[in-house]
Parts: sequence; C-alpha cells; structure tokens
Amino acid sequence: MFLRLALFCALLAVTLTAPARASAGALAAPRAPAAGLAAPPEASAGALAAPPGAPTGSAAPAASPRAAAASCNAPYRIDKTLPNGARWQLCWEMRNVEGLTLSRVVYTPRGQRALTVLRSTSLAQIHVPYDRGRPRYHDIGSLGQTAVPLRAADCPLGERREQFVCVTTRARGHAHLKAVPDRLNVTAQGRELVVFAAFQVGWYTYLAEWAFADDGSITPRVGATGSLAGFTTTPEYGWPIGVGDTGFEASHTHNVFWRLDFDVAGRADDVVEQYDFTGSGTANRRLARTAFTTETGTVSKPMRWWRVVDRKVRNADRHPVSWEINNSDSDQYRGPADEAFTRADLYVTDYRSCERLATVNPSPRCARSVDRYTNGERLTDPVLWVNVGFHHVPRDEDADPMPSHWQGFRITPRDVTAKNPY
Amino acid sequence: MGRRLIVMAAAGSGVVAAAGAMLLAGLLVSGEQGSRAAGSSARLPALEDPLTGQEVARAGAIASAGSRSHMAAGRTKLLYVERDDDKDSPGHRRADAYLYDYGGDRLIVRTVDLGRGTVVRETVERGVQPPPSKEEETVAAGLLLADPGFGRGLREAYAKAGGGPLRSAAALGLRGLIFTPSGESGTARQCETHRCLRLFVRLPDGTWLDTSRIVVDLSAKKIHTLEW
Repeated sequence: MFLRLALFCALLAVTLTAPARASAGALAAPRAPAAGLAAPPEASAGALAAPPGAPTGSAAPAASPRAAAASCNAPYRIDKTLPNGARWQLCWEMRNVEGLTLSRVVYTPRGQRALTVLRSTSLAQIHVPYDRGRPRYHDIGSLGQTAVPLRAADCPLGERREQFVCVTTRARGHAHLKAVPDRLNVTAQGRELVVFAAFQVGWYTYLAEWAFADDGSITPRVGATGSLAGFTTTPEYGWPIGVGDTGFEASHTHNVFWRLDFDVAGRADDVVEQYDFTGSGTANRRLARTAFTTETGTVSKPMRWWRVVDRKVRNADRHPVSWEINNSDSDQYRGPADEAFTRADLYVTDYRSCERLATVNPSPRCARSVDRYTNGERLTDPVLWVNVGFHHVPRDEDADPMPSHWQGFRITPRDVTAKNPY
Repeated sequence: MGRRLIVMAAAGSGVVAAAGAMLLAGLLVSGEQGSRAAGSSARLPALEDPLTGQEVARAGAIASAGSRSHMAAGRTKLLYVERDDDKDSPGHRRADAYLYDYGGDRLIVRTVDLGRGTVVRETVERGVQPPPSKEEETVAAGLLLADPGFGRGLREAYAKAGGGPLRSAAALGLRGLIFTPSGESGTARQCETHRCLRLFVRLPDGTWLDTSRIVVDLSAKKIHTLEW
C-alpha cells in the first residue's frame, strides 16, 4: 500500500507541477451552367429532394420533396445553398459513442439534380500511442457525452444546434482566377459549409469538423487543442518545453480514423478503385487502375488516390460520377503486432451495421477492429475507413491553451459535373 | 466481415416487456444515459432524428425487462441507448440498449422496435467492452476514493486545487475510457475479460490528475496500477 501511495503522490506531483507552464480547370466560360447529370431514375434513391422550383438537370427527374422531410426534421436537418448555387443537405446526430454523426449527405451542383454522396460518416477512433510505448489510449469512449456546449464565439457567423453543433460558412480562398487579355480577370471566391462539434477527452479538446465546399469537395478533419497531457519523459521520447532542459514533454501520435459509408446515388453499383502512376525515374507516368472486388486494406503512396465510383450513373459527358479520396497528409504510424489496425491508411469493407469503430468496437458478435473486418469478403456496398496520423512532438508554443493542430483528408468530386461547377 | 448477428425473433419477450415499459422508464433511464437525445418536441420524430428522451426511456425499459432480477441485484446495468441506424432495416425506428452483466462479464445489446414496442434482436458476448456510461465513471471514482492510498491522495489534490473537502465522487470532473491490456503484466491482465476503466479526473482549478497508470476494475471492484 505504501508503494501505491508513493506512486500516486509522485504522479500527482508531476501533474500539479506541469500547469505552472500554463500561464503562460476547366475552360468553361464563367457562370456558364454546367451540363446536367444524365442519371437514370434510380440515381435519386435516397436523395434528399431539390426544393420545389429549384432548377434541375436537363433530363434528370426531380426528386420528391417528401423524401427530404422524411429523413430528419429541424434542428437536425442542415440545408445550405452557398453563394455559387451549390447546395448541401444532410442530417446530424450526436451519438453516444461516435459523437457527431452526419447522414444522408446530398450534393446538388448549381442547376443540377440532387445526388447522394454519403449514407453516414463519423469518427471511428482516435488512437493515441506515446513514443515511449506507454500509455496507448483509444480516445473514443462515449464521445457524445463529452461534447462541449458551444458559445456564440465558438461558432462565428453560424448557428448553434442544441448547444453542441455549430453550422456555419466560411471563405475558402480563390475558387478560380483566370487572366483574360484586355478584359477583367475571371475570378471567384469560394465558400464552404462547416459543421463541427468539440469534445473534451481528458486534457485534450478535439474539434471534429466536416467542410462541404461550393466546388463539391468535402474535407473531414480533427483539431486537437486544450492542454498537453503533462507527461514527462526522457530526451529521446520528448521535447523540453519548460525552462531549460529538465522537463521533456512526451511525444505521441494521434491516429484518427473516420468511417465513411459512401452511397453514391444510392447504395447499389458503388465500386472502389485505386489509382497509381508508375514509372518513377523515367519520363513517363502510366496510369494503373485497380478495382477492389474484395475487402482490402491499403497504404498511401505518393500520387496514389482512390475513388468511389457509381458504375451506372453518368454525367453529361457520359463519365461515371465518383468521389476521389486523397490521404496524402498522414504520418503513417505503424504500431506493434497487436495494433494491426494501424497497418493501412485506407480500409474498404463491405457494409455491416455492427462494424462501428476502427478499434475497441462495441458490438457483440462482431469483430473488434477494422483490420479484422477486412477479411476478403466480396464488396457489394463498400464502407471506407480512412486512417490519418499526426505525430506530435511538443514545442514551447504548445503552452496552455495548446494551439490546435489539424489532421484530415480530402474528398473531391471527379466527373460529378461535366464542367466547372461554378 | 461476414459474420452475421444472432437475430432473435422475440415476440414473446417483447410483449411482456412492453407491458411494464412505461412504469420502469423513469426508474431505469435518466436523460443522461441516452445519446444526446432530441428535444421534447411534440411532433413525431423523423426516421433519422435522434431518439427523443421519451424514446430513450421507453427503449431502456423494454430492453431491461428481460434482466429485471439481475438489475435489481446490481449485477447488470443499463449503460445507454443508441438509435439503431442499420440501413438493412429501413423504415423502422429502432433503438439499441447496451446492458452490461458485471457478474458474467457479458455485454448484452437488445434492439427495440419502437413502433412495435418489442425486442427484435439480442446479441450477447463475453469480453466486449463498449465505452463507459456516466454512471460507471462515477462508480469508478467512488472505488478510487474508497481505496485508502488513492482516496487520500485524491482528497489532498482536490483540497489543494481549491475544492475544499471532497464529499463525493460526483463532485469531480470525470471522463472514462475503457482499458484493455496491450502487453501489460500483472493484475491488469484481468482486464482482458473484466470491465476496466481509465479515469481522467479534473480538479476544481481546471488541472487534470495524472491517472494514466491507474485502472479501475468494475468487475472485480478493485484497482490495478500499471507499471512501465
């Protein structure tokens, strides 16, 4: 008992001294209407509707307004038309385990018909291993219970939904800028719809954010802020952030997993493809496409990207519509044998309702982690699990409140419209 | 992943469950135990709306009916209720109630069809640990306080942080994460099957205790200290 008490006191001492630091393109003509989606009627399956009177694509049937009303009501319904006419519709829910969960995500380019993108998306884990080997946290506990009530200043120019969710828009820089001789430049500023919530998990405040841009792209990202844990370690596993070279704050990684159930124009006919460009060290770069027919875990490489393509729904150029995934900004943490879930940057699994989290999955009679979900089953309704790592070596600037460090990936429309959607 | 869930066509138990559901509702489920439940709107929720507080209470009561004696004895507890969003059963408003049997270290998930008022599926497995509930965080902090060494340390830290005498675990800012062993030695290996929590404890001055090496075992009602 004495030993335990001594250990506890030592732990307290470490913690209570740490806060002392705390004081401290396309050539399309501008604004030309993009060509309509030449989609078959079934493409509207699951789509939220265009509003009555909204312009629809050329040959595409208008979706039923009743479908939208049936999915979710205010305040859980988000419906935003951005200044360029792009419209995003979705539902949100603060789930007990996963926290902020977005569902029924529908994109309507200006002058086009509505197209479903995602059936649902949420965080699926935040795995935090420390460089010295211990501790190793799986930070998705009951994330919904840790949601931080947001104040007006936390949600600039936005609307707070039930205290915990911020719905706002923000500038995203130049949508395009083209010099035209003897005329004014063709220029446009982009905007995006932002949906986010904050979660207090121990020392850290995690910001879970999804940005839906007026060019059809989606950027999921997580910001870590709040406070450093205050764990001190030896020089090879940390960085001195106190005065002098005595206290070495422990380095660690945040491996964030997102679950994305893509249903491009409904759940049928979705295929995941991987693209590589071979020929390193030569003048040519040859396109190599791999279509995943069975469940797969795969890693990021320079120039590698993936897309979820609907084989049947085509744009006006008769190209199949798809969403591209680019995960090139990860530190690619690879853990020990008992953390096999860290061995890939993208997992593609067939839909199973019990497969909810990437690790410590809370469902009985179901596998425990995403690497185990990936067991060679034929893909009929693909679910994507994106793993993005950020290795945090603390620095003096991380004094309380720690500046946000962000990690995420990009989802970009590929051939959803036949021309620049602006 | 091809393994299918065990589906229980629970017509019988569902009928029994529905009868006592409303009576039990208030006793079994506080508002906090559901996900962030929808506001108390009078209109009917849409299919993708979060569960209302009433739905959470009703689903919890219906799901708990099959474990009444164990729950009365404190052996089994309702952790929380989540909306069932399985797209393989569209058009149904369903809720998943998570119950944990500490005696047998079993997780029981019962899916309640809110339209029919019955349990339509039950899945059970030993050694599966869903995230801790609010109540479990408080119970874990209580075990920490009851330990002579840790309890004294915690009270001293609380007083030093300007909180005065610590009267109960409920006064602490708590966050819990499930602990599963990953190469640890010693008694903490029991957490491979036991329900074990790591607690984050926030003190009145906003600082957090370093509790990273302390694991509270809710199944054995004891505390493991990790060594590294």
